[in-house]
Order: sequence, then structure tokens, then C-alpha cells
Amino acid sequence: MPTDRVRISRRGWFLVVAVIIALLPFVIQDSYWRTNLIVCAINIMLAIGLDLLVMKLGVPFWMAFVFGMVLSGAAGMALSIFAVRLRGHYLAIASLGFAVIVHQVLLNWISLTQGPLGIYAIKPPPDIALPGLPVISFGNTANMFYLVASFAFLFYLLLDQLVRSPIGETLKAIREDEISASAFGINCTAWKVFAFGIGSAVAGAAGAFYASFVGTLVPDAFIITESFTILAMVIVGGMGTLIGPVWGAILLTILPELLRGFGDLRLILYGAALTLVVLFMPGGIAQAAQMFRARLGRLATATDAGMRQ
Amino acid sequence: MIASGPATAAQARPTGAGAFFCGAGLHKRFGGVQAVRDISLTVPRGGVFAIIGPNGAGKSTLLNLMSGLYQPDAGRMIFDGVDLVGLPAHKRVRLGLGRTFQKIRLFKQLSVLGNVIAAFHIHHDIPAWQYVIHGAAFERDHARCRAEAIKLLDFVGLEARASVLAASLAYGEQRMLELARALATSPRLLMLDEPAAGLNAADVERLVERIRILRKRGMTIIVVEHNMDLVMKIADRVLVMDYGQYLFEGTPLEVQANSAVIAAYLGA
Repeated sequence: MPTDRVRISRRGWFLVVAVIIALLPFVIQDSYWRTNLIVCAINIMLAIGLDLLVMKLGVPFWMAFVFGMVLSGAAGMALSIFAVRLRGHYLAIASLGFAVIVHQVLLNWISLTQGPLGIYAIKPPPDIALPGLPVISFGNTANMFYLVASFAFLFYLLLDQLVRSPIGETLKAIREDEISASAFGINCTAWKVFAFGIGSAVAGAAGAFYASFVGTLVPDAFIITESFTILAMVIVGGMGTLIGPVWGAILLTILPELLRGFGDLRLILYGAALTLVVLFMPGGIAQAAQMFRARLGRLATATDAGMRQ
Repeated sequence: MIASGPATAAQARPTGAGAFFCGAGLHKRFGGVQAVRDISLTVPRGGVFAIIGPNGAGKSTLLNLMSGLYQPDAGRMIFDGVDLVGLPAHKRVRLGLGRTFQKIRLFKQLSVLGNVIAAFHIHHDIPAWQYVIHGAAFERDHARCRAEAIKLLDFVGLEARASVLAASLAYGEQRMLELARALATSPRLLMLDEPAAGLNAADVERLVERIRILRKRGMTIIVVEHNMDLVMKIADRVLVMDYGQYLFEGTPLEVQANSAVIAAYLGA
């Protein structure tokens, strides 16, 4: 059965990725690059969360982690009541507009956020003490990486299963043609609210990690350019796929660091790279990879046929 | 049993006696255009009921009122004892109303199989948690849906094209996929909006044959059609509309013999 083979190989890939994640901190001893790795993992979560939708709120830990997920999920659903009428670019613009509103609220709600001063000394997640094992402290960047990366991986797995279920077809049907979707009993509004909620909840989890990792929360962390960067990760990676935003997040987190040597020129290079992707790879890295695989496949069958002749 | 008249339509109450679908005094206006004016119809259970008329007669609008894409400005609709007015399209599907579109509305970026599976939306039987952690019930549902979808593709002659993108289908194949998707909702009343539009003679023949099989299985079918030939072949009852209004109703033979219908079609 071909489908079974595909499924096993997918599980195999997940295992490979899990092993790579586990080994990365050993390979990378430099704390600077470890920091980048953590930001990578956080961004992956943000980006795959954003792929279902945009929104973020930062909050303290474990209880707050769950609370934050629920809260941002609910906030996303509330926002979606206004947003369900919008599609594509208009939806993206509306979410960015919402980001501006959030920034202003964070700046001015001084009793909650201390305004532009921000909130400082946010503690990392509490140590985990398992009987018989050394205490795991998240002040250590390697441990923090494992924690964040595991969650990024876990969310990826769950969302991957979700879009591989009939819900994936339902959401794609809504994306393709809402009138047609409703003719098959799909309640488009309800499903859009659901997608907003899930996307926001994942982004909310990322927000919790962001706060406890950086240790400070200032309103300027939520400025619109930040939202643009995350949106860019989704676009560069490939909208409408789950793996695309992962590549987008890794690339756009690492790339600015690699370009640091170029000084201020790096911003121009970064911008040029983004423009090129949007111009020549509208489907992002995911589409490019798919085309590349298809070409390889054709090449393989061609040589195969050639050998048989 | 099948009663509708131009003069008494506004007063006519859906009686439900022997009727499967019943509409009374339906009106729909778009800006200055009265697309449907005081239409009443009674569709009996089983058989093929055709709605015909010249271009712009309001046939598709009437179908859109019945499927819930539009809500009527006035009038009532009863389907198998349930009042339809106010119910959104997606809820009517669960009652057993299925439809296709005149302007083909496939999910172009989904595979042919994916299109049919998406149309199984109301039939899934999976516990909520298994959507994120696929278990036995999920696999059962998945296998059942695939098998059903392939059966439907087989029925419309598209089983060999299951894995290609819907966008890459030929025009006639797209029409057949529209039919397969509508059947995936297991409708009791299937509404086909110009299913033969743009089809060549061989494709029309294949379509007629499929409709006959569905009719034999006991499905009630409403066809909005332009193609008189097809209507004469398959319809048990025909409602003729012109300028949004009732013109005539009767058997295909009566319709062919009616002078008002001939005048409307020939523009006399």
C-alpha cells in the first residue's frame, strides 16, 4: 500500500528532525548561536501559528503559558469576528492594523505594562526536578533550547495532523471557494473563527516563551516591523503549507545574523533577498522545493526509460 | 398532486400532501431587476423535475433561493416538512439538499479526490481529539471516505483522474466532478444547475444516463436546463419560467405543445 509507505516515511522524517533538534546544542557550543537557535524555534512557532493567523500577547510562565494560549486564542477568535469578511492581502493588512492597536494599548495602559518602560526581570520557566535526575534549569541556554524546540516540534506535529485530517480539506475548500464550500454543509464563518483561534493560541504559546527567554517585555517588541518580519517568514517560506513557514523562520532568523559582517549594507541585502523571493518564488521556499523535487522525479523517470530502451 | 398556478400562487399554501419540496409565492429582487416574481412550485418525491426558460428567466435565481445561497424577499419554502426560509445554505445541506453550480466552482488547487473528500464534510465520524492524534476511528473514517469517494468518481467516470488537480481536468470532466461532489453530501433532493452547459453530445449522453440511474435509485432531482433535448429525455414534470414569472407547467409533451412556451422560446 503506497499510502502506508508514505505515512511511515513521514514518521521517519519527524524522528530525524527530533534527533537533529536533540543534537544541535552539542554541535553548537557558542552561546550566541544557541541564542539564535532559540529565537529560531520561537519564530518557527510564531510563524506556523501565524500561518493559521496573526496575533500575539506575551505573558509569564506555566500557568500563564496555558492561560496565555487560551487568552490569545480567545482574542484571536474575537478579532476574527471582524476579520472573517476579509481575505488574502486585506486580511493581512487588517491583522497588521490590529498589531498597531496592540502596540498603542501596551504603550498607554501604564498600570498593566508600565508603558514604554516595560516589564523587567521576567524569570525563565521554573526548574524541573525529576527524581533521580539532575535539576533541569532553564537559565541554561541548551535546556531552554530543548524546551522551546520541543514545543515548536510538538505544535508542528499537532497542526500537521490537524491539516492532514478532513479539517485540512475543509479549510482548503474555504480558501478556494466559500460559496461552493457552503454547498457541502461547511459553515465558513465558524471554521474561520476556529482557524483564527488555533493560530492565535500557538502564537500565544510562543509569546510566553518569548517573554521568559528575553526576560523583558517592552511595547517596542510588538511594533509593526516585528509583525512584518513574521509575516515575511510565512511568505518567504510558502503560505498555505506547514513546512514552509518553518524554513522561512529559520532563514529569516539566521540570515540577518550571517549578514552582520556587511554592516548597514545587510538591511539592503535582506530587503533585496525578500523582494527576489516574492517576485520569483510567489509560493515561497515550499513551492520551490516541490518544483525541484518534481524535476528530479522527471529526470529519474527519464533516465529510467532511457536505460530500459 | 402537482399544482401551481400564476393567479393563485400568492395565496397558495404549501400543503405538503405528496409534496417533497414546496415553494409558495417566492419573490427575489436585485436592485431594479425582479429576478423571481411570485413563483410557486410543488415537487413530488422521486422523479426529475425540470425548470426551463429563456436566458435571464430567473431559473438559477430560483435554484439559489432553494439551496439557500440567497434568501427570498417574500414567500415560503418547505422541504420534507421543514421550513427552509432563513436557514443558511450549509444547514440545508444537512437536511438533504444538494446542488451543483452553473458556473463550475471546483476547489481548483485540490486534487479530484480531495474535492470529493471535502464534500464529505457533514459525514465524518471522528472523535474531536483524533483530529490531532489520529487513532483507529480516524483511520476507519479516512478509509471509508476514500472508498466512498472513489466509488463516486467511478460512478461519474473519473476514477482514473483521482489524483490530478481539479484545475487540470477537461471541461466535461469538471462538470462530472461537480456532480460527484454534490452526490458526496448524500442528498435526497439533488439540484443541478445547467449540468449540460458546454458539454458535447457524448458527454450529454453520459450525463443523461447518470441522472437516470440516480432517479432509479429513488433520488429526487431538480434540473435547471437550457438544453431542451435533455429536458425532454429525462424530465417527468417541467416548469417553464419567463422574465422571472411562471409561464407554464406540465409534462414534457404538454410543454412542447404549448403555444406560450413556443412563443417565449422563439421570441415571437
